[in-house]
Amino acid sequence: MSRVDHLSTTFAALADPTRRAILARLADGEATVGELAQPFDVSLPAISKHVKVLQNAGLVEQGRQAQWRPCRLRPEPLREVVAWMTRYREFLGVSFDRLDGYLAELQGAGPQHNDVPERPAAADHRDVPEKTEPNGETP
Amino acid sequence: MTKQDLGNEATKVVAENDELLIERTFAAPRDLVWAAMTSAEHLARWIGPHGTTTEVVEMDVRPGGGWKWINKYDGGSVTFAGEYLEVEPPTRLVRTTAPEDGPAGPPAVETITFEEVEGGTRVHWVTRFPSAEVLEFAISAGMAKGIIEQFERLADLLAQ
Repeated sequence: MSRVDHLSTTFAALADPTRRAILARLADGEATVGELAQPFDVSLPAISKHVKVLQNAGLVEQGRQAQWRPCRLRPEPLREVVAWMTRYREFLGVSFDRLDGYLAELQGAGPQHNDVPERPAAADHRDVPEKTEPNGETP
Repeated sequence: MTKQDLGNEATKVVAENDELLIERTFAAPRDLVWAAMTSAEHLARWIGPHGTTTEVVEMDVRPGGGWKWINKYDGGSVTFAGEYLEVEPPTRLVRTTAPEDGPAGPPAVETITFEEVEGGTRVHWVTRFPSAEVLEFAISAGMAKGIIEQFERLADLLAQ
């Protein structure tokens, strides 16, 4: 299965509130299907079905004898979802940082801060107060 | 109802349900900020993490037009692509976005607005992810921690 399909399966499995509640319960530790069913007003077979969906998505692992063996949370697919969004956010955050510098460069301002290491021999310190903008007005 | 205010002085980041808002004010006129975001030559100069290069493969900035760029880093690359939905220079840009490789998923929709403010241009970047419930769950499952770490790193970068 491609990773795209894999992530879509994870999204589909997480789309149901009962299944998210099951995962939240399993995040606290292993539980049998019977224990998982307790807080819900639904039948044991219905819970088993949800567990099966979670199993198919790789979010839950369980032994063969479904009724008796405890279910365990597999966090890997969750991490993929988080990684996807985290990567997106990181990418944008760092890019904005670069854009800030690039826009300054385009306007001929150079880096915003006082010390400009690129020009080591800049001995001609002009008597311009740091904060004065080119057009004079103070904000 | 998960709302989190994150980020630092330079960048405001708010994650709420299926939306992620990133807001930053750039010290540049709006037309220039618009150009930096919508022209291939400009975009390649700033998009992507430090030390990476970006090749803009397609950038057809009009409703229905496609965009695609490849960000190359040491030992690999990541491709993002999507479609422009609304284009109103120099104030508003709406587009879909999705990574073409790696952990991918259904496309997100980005609504980017450019507002003239004192001292420059405020860029308001809202990304709506495909599933509110999934995003909320992902946040409660540890995304918040990731955000905070990221912005500590960003603060380090800015301090250099």
